[in-house]
Amino acid sequence: MPAGTWPLLRLALRRDRVKLPLWLVWVAGMAAYFASAIQIAYPDEADLVAIAAFMDSPGGTVMSGPGYGWDAPTHATAFAGAYALYLYVAAAFLSVLLVARHTRAEEEAGRLELVRAAAVDRRTPLTVAALLVLGAGLVLGLLAFALVLPAGYGAAGTALFGTSMTAVAWVFGAVALVTAQLAERSRAATGLAALTIGAAVAVRGAGDTLGENGSALSWLSPIGWVQQTRVFFDDRWWPLLLCLAATVVAVVLASRLQARRDLGAGLLAGRAGAPRAHARLVGPFALALRLERSGGLGWSLALLVLGLMYGALTDSVESALGDLDNETLLAALGGDAGRLLDGYLATSALFNGYVVIAFALVAGRRLVADERAGVTGLALAAPVGRVRWLVASVGATLVGAAVVAVAGGLGLGGAAALVTGDVALLGRGLAATLVYLPAVAVLLAVAALGYALRPGAYALGWAVAVVAMVVGYLGFALDLPAWLVDASPLSHVPQLPLESFAAVGPAVLLAVGAGLLAVATVAFGRRDLVAG
Amino acid sequence: MSMPIHESSRPQPVIEVEGLTKTFGRFRALDAFDLTVGTGEIAAFLGPNGAGKSTAIRVLLGMLRPDAGSVRVLGLDPWRDAVALHERLVYVPGDVSLWPTLTGGEAIDVLHRLRPGVGVSRRDELVERFELDPTKRCRAYSKGNRQKVALVAALSSDVDLYVLDEPTSGLDPLMENVFTDCIEDLRAQGRTVLLSSHILAEVEKVCDTVTIIRGGRTVQAGRLDELRHLRRSRVVATTRRDPSVLAGLDGVHDLTVTAGGEQAYEVDFALDGERTGPVLAALADLAPSALTSNPPSLEELFLAQYSDSTASGEPR
Repeated sequence: MPAGTWPLLRLALRRDRVKLPLWLVWVAGMAAYFASAIQIAYPDEADLVAIAAFMDSPGGTVMSGPGYGWDAPTHATAFAGAYALYLYVAAAFLSVLLVARHTRAEEEAGRLELVRAAAVDRRTPLTVAALLVLGAGLVLGLLAFALVLPAGYGAAGTALFGTSMTAVAWVFGAVALVTAQLAERSRAATGLAALTIGAAVAVRGAGDTLGENGSALSWLSPIGWVQQTRVFFDDRWWPLLLCLAATVVAVVLASRLQARRDLGAGLLAGRAGAPRAHARLVGPFALALRLERSGGLGWSLALLVLGLMYGALTDSVESALGDLDNETLLAALGGDAGRLLDGYLATSALFNGYVVIAFALVAGRRLVADERAGVTGLALAAPVGRVRWLVASVGATLVGAAVVAVAGGLGLGGAAALVTGDVALLGRGLAATLVYLPAVAVLLAVAALGYALRPGAYALGWAVAVVAMVVGYLGFALDLPAWLVDASPLSHVPQLPLESFAAVGPAVLLAVGAGLLAVATVAFGRRDLVAG
Repeated sequence: MSMPIHESSRPQPVIEVEGLTKTFGRFRALDAFDLTVGTGEIAAFLGPNGAGKSTAIRVLLGMLRPDAGSVRVLGLDPWRDAVALHERLVYVPGDVSLWPTLTGGEAIDVLHRLRPGVGVSRRDELVERFELDPTKRCRAYSKGNRQKVALVAALSSDVDLYVLDEPTSGLDPLMENVFTDCIEDLRAQGRTVLLSSHILAEVEKVCDTVTIIRGGRTVQAGRLDELRHLRRSRVVATTRRDPSVLAGLDGVHDLTVTAGGEQAYEVDFALDGERTGPVLAALADLAPSALTSNPPSLEELFLAQYSDSTASGEPR
């Protein structure tokens, strides 16, 4: 091991002693949860057969996997067929975030310079990151095995599942080690690695629809490899060797790349930017819009793809669920067997709305970060009033949220229109998503009010949003008190196209949002700016 | 407690702070703080870390609300009339933070356009003089370069008051010279500058007045030349007769005498400015062969202020 490996590895573990165990337990816990929940949600074989029809359709295949054993589904094969993909993706993201945190982020922050100036080999930081992510992958696999085992799917299959989790974590951890060498900025390195995960999911999605149980295309994706283990169906271990080989190749590649570059440099050079601001970049609102641009584009693209995926399933839903009498599913889709398609669109739009809410709260948090960093102080030393600053920031975030919502609505409605041939669905999908914007405005205004009182209290927006989302999603099943349901802004959003549009709900929401924002501006004008 | 000396010299001060108190929880950051800056003055604002310099500046900008005392900047109340006030001033924070995704050039323009009524001159010239690459993203800048961005944006704005909080703490000596030149330009144009600093040599070079803050209080304030009179000069002389007699004179402090051979004595003492005449007369009687007298550097003045205050436990 190169000089300094052990002390730096200990430091890395010390830094992550809370975060890393939480991440690992969370992902492995999700696996355990899905493994057991499937037995409760679909107790009988008849229930399994019902979802098998849907999962085995092209749409279901894209969203889950090549699907082994849908002919005679068991809880074990249904778990592997329907949920394992998401667990693999979660494992991949865990690795990517872990690697980014310990490689490029350290280098970008300048801390690596301090470390490298000590008696530390130039290869050490990469070695430490590699050891950390390989170790984390191993622990993840062991945890997944231990936690899924009680579901009773057999030790051999569960061991293969756990090992698959490790294999995915290793492959994408190693990919992230490579992207950390390519990009100068930590966010770009993370983005490149996340893009690789997305590509792996998409490639195997396309490949799996081309042939029964996958095609040659599926074998180009690391995610495809772990799915081809046919876990719980006829446990094959050898595809995991591909993962191992890919991991070794990527780690070697990363170390070669790292040996050739300077500290702080990337192999993809950062672009030079504009020496002057665009003529339209004037004032707080334009500034806030500009700062939101790159994040908003990313979210829009992601929601467009998600919307397309939901929309593409419209056809399968109608045919697969048409003669279904599972009451839970029916209730989730609007409770009317005759209007399944509308119910499906409304539910998909609800998910779109949730993503838009998440975007708005993430983007709006710039208020807090900028004030703490001292940038707000710099801007407010100009003749810009606090009311104007707050309204401009919140307004820009709402515009961004509208763009993200349009992307999601177009994806959902557009894909639905394409697969069914009914052009009207485009408008319906779009309207069903956009109608969530007044509720988004209310939740953002709650966050802004919290911020106006004290920067840390921005989280108030998240707290209210999470409650509203749980009420909105599970309200029909949980038998919640009426006042709680009424208090949730999401309860006042018309469930288009299942319900008809009524202007009262959105109008009340907009009024409440405007009122909250007005209170926020008053509060913001009365407090000290926190030090920068 | 404070010693405002130039209070009568300017009829209409640009900054007028009296008895300003600001507390954060139980911590008293400013405690009956006074500050006066006249029109066209280059005013230095000195103090150690944690003395309350930045807090005072943030009150002057209307970012913090004073708990007690009166604050007028350009005749306005900074808390109530922040927007009107900010049309006439620019600010460079001590630790400049910028929008990470904008380039330096964009950040300069954004800062200008947040002051639509303010004229801009010499933007490109200053970018060049400070050797700033305006195409780099702000997140890639070092501390010194972020400071240059804020300085270029500020110094190219035509306003009445320039509030600069330790503006040179990240600059190299060459850039410090460029900065000093820029301040001289502002002086020539009759602009008012409040310059907080740790770098006393720089303050000495460019400033007219000095206000020293410690523990949230003004411990000294005045014109740099007047303050010098208050302090002691260091006198070093070579005499042929024994200079020990000087020890008994009023105004002579810390006298040391070294015998430097036959009929040669080295004498070294601190001299109160107002006792210069009698002491020099006495010194002349000792047949001096060499004499040097140095005015106190601001450094000494500053250190003397702190050691005195620390010794007595009470600001003078």
